[in-house]
Amino acid sequence: MLDVGSFRAGTCGGFSRRSFLRLAGSVPLALGLPGGVARASQPVKARSVIFVFLWGAPSHLDTCDPKPDAPAEYRGPFGVIPTRTPGVMFTELLPRIASRSDRFSLIRTHATTAPGHPDGGTVALTGFPELPAPVQPNFGSIIAKARGNQGALPPFFSITSGMLADSSRRIEGYGGGVLSQAHDPFLVGCNQAGEVKLSALQLLDELNPLRVQDRRQLLAQLDTAARRAEQEGQRAWSRNMKSGYDLLLDPAARQAFDLTRETPATRARYGYTTFGQSSLLARRMVEAGVPYVQLNYSRHPEALNSGFELGWDTHIYNFELLQDQHCPTLDRAFSALLDDLYDRGLIDNTLVVMMGEFGRTPKITPNAARDHWPPCYFSIWAGGGVQPGRVIGTSDKLGEFPLGDVVSPLMVGTTIAHLAGLDTQARAEMNVLAGGKVIDGLL
Amino acid sequence: MDFSNSMLKNVAWTPRPSENQLESDGRGVHPTVFQHAAKQQRAGLLLCGLMCLGATTSTIAAEPLRLTHDGRQKSSPVFRDEGRELVYVDFADPTLFQLRRLVLADGTTELLHPKSTSAEFEPAWSADGENYAHLKLRGVLSISIVVRDKQGVTLSEILPAGGFNGYRSPALSPDHSCLAFACAERGTQQIYSSKLNGEDRKQLTESTGVSNWPSYSPDGRSIVFGSSRDGNFEIYRMNSDGSDVRRLTDNPFQDIRPRFSPDGLRIAFTSHRDGNAEIYVMNADGSALQRITENADRDDYAEWHPDGKRLVLVSEREGQHDLYLLSLPR
Repeated sequence: MLDVGSFRAGTCGGFSRRSFLRLAGSVPLALGLPGGVARASQPVKARSVIFVFLWGAPSHLDTCDPKPDAPAEYRGPFGVIPTRTPGVMFTELLPRIASRSDRFSLIRTHATTAPGHPDGGTVALTGFPELPAPVQPNFGSIIAKARGNQGALPPFFSITSGMLADSSRRIEGYGGGVLSQAHDPFLVGCNQAGEVKLSALQLLDELNPLRVQDRRQLLAQLDTAARRAEQEGQRAWSRNMKSGYDLLLDPAARQAFDLTRETPATRARYGYTTFGQSSLLARRMVEAGVPYVQLNYSRHPEALNSGFELGWDTHIYNFELLQDQHCPTLDRAFSALLDDLYDRGLIDNTLVVMMGEFGRTPKITPNAARDHWPPCYFSIWAGGGVQPGRVIGTSDKLGEFPLGDVVSPLMVGTTIAHLAGLDTQARAEMNVLAGGKVIDGLL
Repeated sequence: MDFSNSMLKNVAWTPRPSENQLESDGRGVHPTVFQHAAKQQRAGLLLCGLMCLGATTSTIAAEPLRLTHDGRQKSSPVFRDEGRELVYVDFADPTLFQLRRLVLADGTTELLHPKSTSAEFEPAWSADGENYAHLKLRGVLSISIVVRDKQGVTLSEILPAGGFNGYRSPALSPDHSCLAFACAERGTQQIYSSKLNGEDRKQLTESTGVSNWPSYSPDGRSIVFGSSRDGNFEIYRMNSDGSDVRRLTDNPFQDIRPRFSPDGLRIAFTSHRDGNAEIYVMNADGSALQRITENADRDDYAEWHPDGKRLVLVSEREGQHDLYLLSLPR
């Protein structure tokens, strides 16, 4: 089911100005852009990218970089299991991912500069801190600008129930940044039943795409509203209204959001969790040709906060949440995603990157949990030109610091752009990812 | 969020009151459950027999009966009302997980505290049914214990310390005179007990690592719990004053969530020793270990039926999480 949401501000004469602006303001400008403004300048190994963002930051010691020989105040309570990569162990919480380590490469020497969530999230998604302004573009916005629309679908989707934010404010690196709002992601929500919601296209109560198809007169109404908005200085919004409708009116585009077209067995492999079905949605978007999908584990980083989903920020309940909720969900969904991309022959042209914004304290805190730890964390890379089965670097015996060369968030973005076809010159022409180096060990 | 529930409605368990209801004490469940089980058996899904895995006897129970069909994430089922009802944590709304009550006789469910605006989880009932307790999310990473009488009236709320802090795994003594729970301080997590209002707090364990999931024996004299004090989670037993701690399991993978049987002679728990989460039962001294479930996915959160012959558990099958009732092998 595709739900374009409920919209309650219409009037009997059409749309109120307020309601129209709400609609227009939520549609990313990228919808209206034709082909990319900066063409790929080298062979494109990653036609699509799925960036799995574990917002809140998972503990590296309790997942993919365990330290079973460390003292008790560091190692945590979980056992370790072998992977298919010689010498690499994961904790017992990720048995399915461990058994597929020959399908991905592992980096254990990440470090970042930002210790808090909003800024750390921005660094993770853009390669640069929020300050000094202006905010640099999300990796997805760079790819979106370079590649442009691929058919009716926008080039950059972020799968989330809303704008990424912590309890205090939104994450500034969510979108186009200095490249402009034209390259913001298109937000799409997906619940544990696999029902998809395009909150950005909220129109009318009970309206669904099938009804939209029969109501092209709405376009005329919106054109009128758009002209009015332009007259009122809302030019940026109005020029994208038709593109928003293109998405809804294109049957192929709509099908990308319809998880009921999958077999029950496929849906079951991913698991009926929000992240599981969202992962399946990401695969469908890749299949439909979307260049960049940011697959967020949660909208908020906090692990336990009223009104929030369960994020990875486990200042308390770290061990309980990892063993009861996060790792079983992630293990099932991510392993299914890898298998599905392989089985469908998509993996060669699809880059999958999974990581948080930093690690968590190797030394267990007074709350018997783990706090933020920017100096050392991990990522997983698969497909899209990455050589599988490799291990990049190692951390010290306590998991506190990388041994050898550090891999920065800027290098993550640079490598993604490189595999998506943007070489040094192309990046320079776009004035993005300045100073970034490619992670050669992955290639 | 405003997700309509069309998919969930399609698989929802619709009670059929016109059908004969089975015994309402939990020995019988709604006929649709049996129909579902029979279908599973016809499909060749019945798993039974003996498997020898080292020192562990693997006595796989007959295919359990599926009690819920919504497939949503859920956890921590507990029996109440002499086994006629179950209360569990329902993750229907991932931003507000709540306690849901299931009537076994007709399969109907309803929220236990429909007016609650706070997430509630880890429910626990006293053996006499007079009181229950649960955790309550108070805000950012702050979790209290709420103690209620059997009508649901709040008797006390035990508040956590300031900052990021919270309690875990409340358990009521059989005579509902005191409460056991886990709490983290100074880098370790220990088992404590207190009166139901939080007064007279006593630390029962003193060890490295994380201790959790206390469960009282039916006579109230013992507590079984999980602890990582020896390197990874194992099952331990102690007197209810914290003395005479004995280790009951020993393997390199997680043994967690132990639960005393109603007669006090056995302990059910979850173990990952065979590759994923399965339910095991052993004698109260750690002997006669039996593997009870064998499922490619996760079986977890075992809780004894008051008759001591069955367990309810959360089982993940075909990617869906539901409650199942399992009869123990004789």
